Amino acid sequence: MKEEESGIEEGGASLPSAGLDGKKRRVTYFYEPSIGDYYYGQGHPMKPHRIRMAHNLIVHYSLHRRMEINRPFPASPADIRGFHSDDYVRFLSSVSPETLSDSRHLKRFNVGEDCPVFDGLFDFCQASAGGSIGAAVKLNRQDADIAINWAGGLHHAKKSEASGFCYVNDIVLGILELLKLHRRVLYVDIDVHHGDGVEEAFYTTDRVMTVSFHKFGDFFPGTGHIKDIGLGSGKNYAVNVPLNDGLDDESFRGLFRAIIQKVMEVYQPEAVVLQCGADSLSGDRLGCFNLSVKGHADCLRFLRSFNVPLMVLGGGGYTIRNVARCWCYETAVAVGVEPDNKLPYNEYYEYFGPDYTLYVDPSNMENLNTPKDMEKIRNTLLEQISRLPHAPSVPFQTTPPTLEVPEEAEEDMDRRPKLRKWDGEDYDSDPDEDLKAISGCSNITAHSR
Amino acid sequence: MEGWSTFSNGSSLDCPGVETVGAFPGNGCCLGKDHVDNEADCDKLKQRCLFYKLFPVYLKDNCSKGVVRPLPVLIDGHQLDLYKLFSIVKERGGYAVVAKKRLWGSVSKELGLNLKVFSSVKLVYDKYLNDFERWLKQIFEEKKSKTGNNEGLLCPNLKDKDVDELVKSESNKIKKDTDFVNCKNDINLLDTKDQKNKSEDVQHNGGDNDEKICNGVKVDPTTLGAEGAVKKLKSRKRKRETLSGMLIWMKHIAKYPLDPLAQPIPKPSKWKGYKGQDIFGQFLRAREALLPRQHEEPTSGLSFLQKQKMHPVMYEDRASLGRHATGKLRCSKRLPAFVKSKSCSCCNGKRLTDVLTAKTISEPSGGESLEKQVSVGPRFQAEVPEWTGVVSESDSKWLGIQIWPLKHDSEPTPETDIGRGRQEKCNCEFQGSVACVRLHIAENRMKLKLELGSVFYHWGFDRMGEEVSLQWTTEEEKKFKDIMRSNISSQNKYFWNNPSKYFTGKTRKNLVSYYFNVFLIQLRSYQNRVTPKNVDSDDDEVQFGSLGDGFRMEAVKGPGYKIPDCSLNEQCADLEYWSRHD
Repeated sequence: MKEEESGIEEGGASLPSAGLDGKKRRVTYFYEPSIGDYYYGQGHPMKPHRIRMAHNLIVHYSLHRRMEINRPFPASPADIRGFHSDDYVRFLSSVSPETLSDSRHLKRFNVGEDCPVFDGLFDFCQASAGGSIGAAVKLNRQDADIAINWAGGLHHAKKSEASGFCYVNDIVLGILELLKLHRRVLYVDIDVHHGDGVEEAFYTTDRVMTVSFHKFGDFFPGTGHIKDIGLGSGKNYAVNVPLNDGLDDESFRGLFRAIIQKVMEVYQPEAVVLQCGADSLSGDRLGCFNLSVKGHADCLRFLRSFNVPLMVLGGGGYTIRNVARCWCYETAVAVGVEPDNKLPYNEYYEYFGPDYTLYVDPSNMENLNTPKDMEKIRNTLLEQISRLPHAPSVPFQTTPPTLEVPEEAEEDMDRRPKLRKWDGEDYDSDPDEDLKAISGCSNITAHSR
Repeated sequence: MEGWSTFSNGSSLDCPGVETVGAFPGNGCCLGKDHVDNEADCDKLKQRCLFYKLFPVYLKDNCSKGVVRPLPVLIDGHQLDLYKLFSIVKERGGYAVVAKKRLWGSVSKELGLNLKVFSSVKLVYDKYLNDFERWLKQIFEEKKSKTGNNEGLLCPNLKDKDVDELVKSESNKIKKDTDFVNCKNDINLLDTKDQKNKSEDVQHNGGDNDEKICNGVKVDPTTLGAEGAVKKLKSRKRKRETLSGMLIWMKHIAKYPLDPLAQPIPKPSKWKGYKGQDIFGQFLRAREALLPRQHEEPTSGLSFLQKQKMHPVMYEDRASLGRHATGKLRCSKRLPAFVKSKSCSCCNGKRLTDVLTAKTISEPSGGESLEKQVSVGPRFQAEVPEWTGVVSESDSKWLGIQIWPLKHDSEPTPETDIGRGRQEKCNCEFQGSVACVRLHIAENRMKLKLELGSVFYHWGFDRMGEEVSLQWTTEEEKKFKDIMRSNISSQNKYFWNNPSKYFTGKTRKNLVSYYFNVFLIQLRSYQNRVTPKNVDSDDDEVQFGSLGDGFRMEAVKGPGYKIPDCSLNEQCADLEYWSRHD
C-alpha cells in the first residue's frame, strides 16, 4: 500500500463530493465469517446475522475491491482486561448457558435479560473486540485512513458489567489502542441510544472527547442529559445531544454538522471513532428516529471529509434489513462509491423486498424536534464546546506542546500526509451526487493501483 | 422525615425470637375493612399485630408441651383469620358468653363463613384461642406477681423488643422504660366486658407505679403531668408508632397487593398533590425522603437496582407480548431507570408490573428528578495514560489475517462494476417470481465464486442463503417449519435451548443458520409477494401460522407456472458443480 500514498491528497479537509474530489481513502474492513451464526436467543432483537447480511451486500456491490479485508484476531481475556475488570472478564470468559447457575453473578454483571448468556458469547465478544482493536492498530500503523468493523460499536458495555446487549466495550478498547499514538481521539455516536459506556469510560479525561446524539427521555439507558458534560479534567469533553422522536434527515444534518464542525475546529482530534448504530434509522424495531440511510450516512461522509484517521463501527440496529442496507451504503461512502439503489441479486435478496432497494425512505411520522428545540440545543452545545481551550493542553513529560504539529516528527510520522487539520471551510455535498445515485449511474474514478 | 430515621434506628418490626411467625397466615397485620385513618383503627391494627406476635410464641410454647396446633386453620376451604375470630368473640363477651348464648352462628357469619360450619368455628376457638387466652392471662399474672409492675403487656405500644424479651424469658424483668409512659391506649387484647374489673385493677395498679398504663380509657395527655420531657418523649414515640403502622401496612400491601380489604391506593397521578394524613400519606412522605438518598449512591448494589431494560417488552409475559407485538415495539415508553427497581426486589413476575407502574409514575414526575448520573471512580473509568509522546508499538497480531485482496492476485481487480446494482430487465418468463429471483441469485453466486475463489468459502458464502437447505432432508425442513409455525413462546424457547432433542445430528448453530438463511428468506419471499405492505423479518414473536399451506412456492408462483419445490437448489447445486469442475 505504500506506493499508493501519493493517491491521498493532502490538505483540505472538505470534499465537495465523492464524484469530484477523486480522493481515495485506504479502507480496511474487518469481518469475522462466523459472526452471523451467533444467536442471542429466540425473540432477542439483537441479531449478529445482520453483520453477515451487510457483508453479503458489500461483496455483491463489489465494494471489497476497494478495500483490504481482514479477519480479526480474537482479543484474549488479557486484552479485554485493558478496560474491563478482572472478575468481569473472568466471568465472561468462563460462563456458558450450561454452567450458568450462580444468580449472584447474573445480578452482579447484569447478564440474563437484556444480555443473555448464549452459546459462544465470549467468542463473539472476542471477535467484536478484536476487530475494533485491529482497526485501531491499522490506523496507528497508518496502513489505512478508514478502518471499519461492523461487529463492533457495542457502546453500552461497562467496565464491570454488561448492559443493553453489550458485553465487551470494543470501542473503549479500540480508543485505548488509538491513544497509544494519538493525543486526542474524538468519539462520535449516532446510535439512537446514548453511548453511555464509552462516555463513562472517558468521563474524566480530555484525551477523549465523546459526542453522542441520541433519543433522550423515557428511553434506555436514561443517561445522556445535555448537562452531563464530563468531570475533572474531562469537564466539557463529554457532549450530549438529547433528541426526540421522529428526528428527520434535515434537522439532524443541520445539528450534526454544526456541532461536529465546531468540535473538529476546537478539539482538533488526531483520530475519530464513529459509532454508526443503525437503530436511528426510520422504521427500526427499537428506535424512534426517522432518518434515511443517506441521512445516517451523511455523518460518515462529513467526518470522512476532514481526512483524519477514522474508525467506523457498528452498534445497534434491530430491523436487520435496514441495518444491512445502511452499513453497506456507509461502506460505499467510505470507499468513495455511490452504489446503485437497485440491489444486486444476492443470497439475502428477499429480505429487502418488496422494493429491493438500498435506501430506506423515511416515514411520514411527526418530527417532535421543533426548530426551536434544535436551535436551543445547538446554542447550548456550541457554547459548551467553545469553553474548551483551543486544542486542549495535555500534560507533557518529554516534549513541549506544539499545537500546530500534533504529531511529533518521528521517523514513522512523516509518512503521513501533512497534518490533517480541518481548515474551517464549509462543507456541502454536491446535490448532483444524489441525483447520480438515483439514476443508477456510478461513475467511479480510476483506481490508483 | 426525621421520624423515619428515628424509627429505623429504633425498634424493628421483625421479631427474631419468633420463628413461627412466618408460617402464620396473615402475619403482619391485616388492615381491617375500615380505613385506618383514626386512632381507633390504628389501634386495632396494632392490636392485631400484637396478637400475631404473641400467638406464635404461644404455639411454640405449647408445642414444647407436646400439644401441636397446625397452621393455617382452614374452615370450609377458607383460611381462618384467627385474630378476627378472637376479636369477634371478645366483642360478644368472650368464649363463655358466646357458648352460653349460642352465638356461634353469628360469629361464623361475621367471619364470612357459612352458618353450617359454626361448630368448626367453635372447635377452633376452643382448641386454639381459649387456651391462648388462658396462657396470656397466666403470663400476666406471673409478671405482675414477680415484678409488681403492671407493664401493660398487652398494650401494643410496647416496643416489639420488649414483647419478645418478655415472651422469650418469662423471668425477664421488663424495664420500666420511659416508653411505658407512652402507653396512652384504649386497647387491650384482654380488654373485654368480662374483664373490666381486671382492667380497672390494672389501671389502679399502674397509677401506683406512677406510670401511665394501658387501660380501657384514652388518657388525656394533660394527665401525664407537666413534665416537658415526658411530652417530648411522647411526641417522638408517637411518630414512631405511626411509622410502624405504615410499615406494617406496606408489608401487607407487598404481600397481598390485591387485598380488597386494604385501603385503596390513590392513582399515581394524584400522588404529588396527596396530602392525606393516613398511612398512605405517610408512605408517600417516606418515599420522598428516601428516594433521593438512594439516587445519590452509585454503589454497585444500587446501580444494579437502577438498571433499565433496553428491550423490556421481550420479558413480559406472553399475553401482553401478543398485544405489543402487533403494535410498534420501539416507541413504547421506557421507564426512568430507577423507579422500576424500587417496587420489585421481592416479587416475581415483576417486570410487567414494573413497566406498567413505572410508566404511570414517570408521567407526573417528568423524569427530571430521576435522571441517571454518570458514575465516577476507578470502577467505572478506563485507565487513560497521560500523553508522553512516546509511542508504544502495537502488536501486529491485531492486523488479523488478510483475506482480501488475495496476495497472489496480480491482475488488478476491475473497477467498472463497483457499486453496480441489478439490471432492470431479465429474460425470465415471470419477472420477479421466486424462480426468476432464485435464478439470478444463482448466477450472481457463480460470478462471485469465480472472482473470489477460495475466499468465497472463507467468507462463508457457501453457507449463505437458501443453499443451506441442501443439508436438510425434506422431513427435517417440514419439522422445523412446523415447530416455527406453532410458535408458542415457551415451547420455542425450549426448542432453541435443546435443538438436538428435536433434530439428531443438528447443532444449535445449524438450526440458527437454517432459520436465518432458509426459513426467514422463504417467509419474506412469501410476504413480499402476498402481503407486501406488511413485511417483517425481525419480530420472532409473530405467528407464522397465518401462512398456512401456501407457505412456499404454491402461493407465490405465477399463474400456470409449474415449478417443483427446491428447483433452485438443484440449480444452485448444478452451478456449483460446474464451477468446481471447470
